[in-house]
Amino acid sequence: MMSKIHVCRSSEIPADGMKTFDVAGGLKILIANAGSNFYAYQGICPHQEVCLGEGFFDGTVLTCHQHLWQWDITTGAAVGLAEAPLESYQIDVVEGEIYVVQASALKAAELFAGIADATHDKLGDIARREERPGGSILYEIGDATDDLYILESGRVDFQIGRDERTSAAGFVLHKGEVFGWAALLEQQPQRIARAVCLEDSVLLRLSGEQTLKILEADPATGYAVMRKLASLITRQLTAPTGK
Amino acid sequence: MKIQVNARNRAHHFDTEVDENILYGGLSEAVDLPYECGSGTCGTCKAKRLSGEIVDLWPEAPGRKYLKGPDEFLMCQCVARSDAVIEVPGFVQTMEAGACTPDFLGGRITSITEMTMDVVQLSIELWEPLEFDAGQFVLIQVPGVQGFRGWSMVNYQRHCKTVEFVVKKKPGGGISDWLFSGDRIGTEVEVFGPLGRATFYPSLGKNILCIAGGSGIAGMMSILARAASDGYFTQYDGHVFFGVRSMKDAFFLDRFMQLRQRCGDRLQVTVALSETGATPDEAADFPLLKFETGFVHEVAGKNMQNSYGNIRAYLAGPTPAVDASIRMLLMARVSTDNIRYDKFS
Repeated sequence: MMSKIHVCRSSEIPADGMKTFDVAGGLKILIANAGSNFYAYQGICPHQEVCLGEGFFDGTVLTCHQHLWQWDITTGAAVGLAEAPLESYQIDVVEGEIYVVQASALKAAELFAGIADATHDKLGDIARREERPGGSILYEIGDATDDLYILESGRVDFQIGRDERTSAAGFVLHKGEVFGWAALLEQQPQRIARAVCLEDSVLLRLSGEQTLKILEADPATGYAVMRKLASLITRQLTAPTGK
Repeated sequence: MKIQVNARNRAHHFDTEVDENILYGGLSEAVDLPYECGSGTCGTCKAKRLSGEIVDLWPEAPGRKYLKGPDEFLMCQCVARSDAVIEVPGFVQTMEAGACTPDFLGGRITSITEMTMDVVQLSIELWEPLEFDAGQFVLIQVPGVQGFRGWSMVNYQRHCKTVEFVVKKKPGGGISDWLFSGDRIGTEVEVFGPLGRATFYPSLGKNILCIAGGSGIAGMMSILARAASDGYFTQYDGHVFFGVRSMKDAFFLDRFMQLRQRCGDRLQVTVALSETGATPDEAADFPLLKFETGFVHEVAGKNMQNSYGNIRAYLAGPTPAVDASIRMLLMARVSTDNIRYDKFS
């Protein structure tokens, strides 16, 4: 877990302006001033390592100038062409100095972005944090689809097929990425892929059954989460349309 | 060689020929690997070697500055000397059915026509006809000059046997120096393509805005040729802004006159002159075209106010002109999926 890091003076960022800063620990952090509030995000585009400080910011939407990925500055949620959200940092302004604190993976999870605070807190209560060394197997093909996973740090690879005949089936590496989502689906009792931590990884595990119960108690949130889940699954299957 | 590409969403498999780079090998088998320039500059096609032997044919490629660590490489410059497994950091899909899958084609330069002091129009007759979409480009390699260079097609037709390009003289640019330093008609060249995502289809159903600086107008001519042949401008508006320094640097003005005559008033063509404006006499020679003074994105911005409804914008030209145009369009709230460009030059 990251402690509070000093980034800059608030007066360095004009209204509707933004700047990136290299801070302790080798991180690049973008601070945006949206008029009434400051926001802090990862300073590098999650697409192809372009510095977001070179992009465009109009006070509402941040755009990477390379491939026009965009994000809502208040949430870091992907807008338009963007395929991944921005990792956000909690911001603290003390006597004109800006500090940031890394947010939890649950807060960063695209699947649960924008849901009611009370529901978020309930999900936080059932989340179990696990640290796993590189090489460890999270689940095997045929295992019960009990838990939903959210990546906090590290990297998880998926493989389908057995023994010598396995095939790579993708990987997750961004904080807040959700996998093992079969735990939220009916009639999907068994894992169809094997998930392996390719490096030392930190994960949040949420029981699928308990998560569904929490979502059922807040149908508006449940509906929003299921819509996001549907688009998450679709993204694995189809191309972003080029026409 | 057998190549496996592990992407964020799945793995893809394809074969490469001896000395065929990994990018071209994958694209020619309809694996839509990430790329922009395809010629070693942009760094977009970077990948990571997981196993196998990868050899870099151009270790000085400028795009290598985007690489981190000894196992990262540019797919457009590297070949596999054994079966290999590599990783690409993004989502990779299979190309849509009906997309024009790129391939290696040979051809011969059949004509070179001087358009201005530093721009020529060039035609290449291909051994096999090429299918491409309006707005696409190909990569060309000429004898004695290492590496490929991207050129946009100017013309548009199905089963195209002769492709036209415009090429700007760039001192220090390998192929440009070669082209401008001798009689090259009849020379056989290597062609890989078609490539590029800034494409136009008549089924688009939107007004179109083309903003191009200098030789960037090439791909716009292809788009306009396809639109004109479909009668597209009877239903939709076309706004073309062509930026050059002065009238001495302008070309294709006769072609624009013909397009205007053929397509009518819904196609508007404005020539933006950044250094020296057109004299009344010069403008009078092209009565259906407009001439204004200023940078092309400024002239476009001034003329397009309140005309951004249902629009698809195509951009091409020098990077500063494209970036300034993007900024202008974003400020005008044009959505990003309607801003199309390929940064390959």
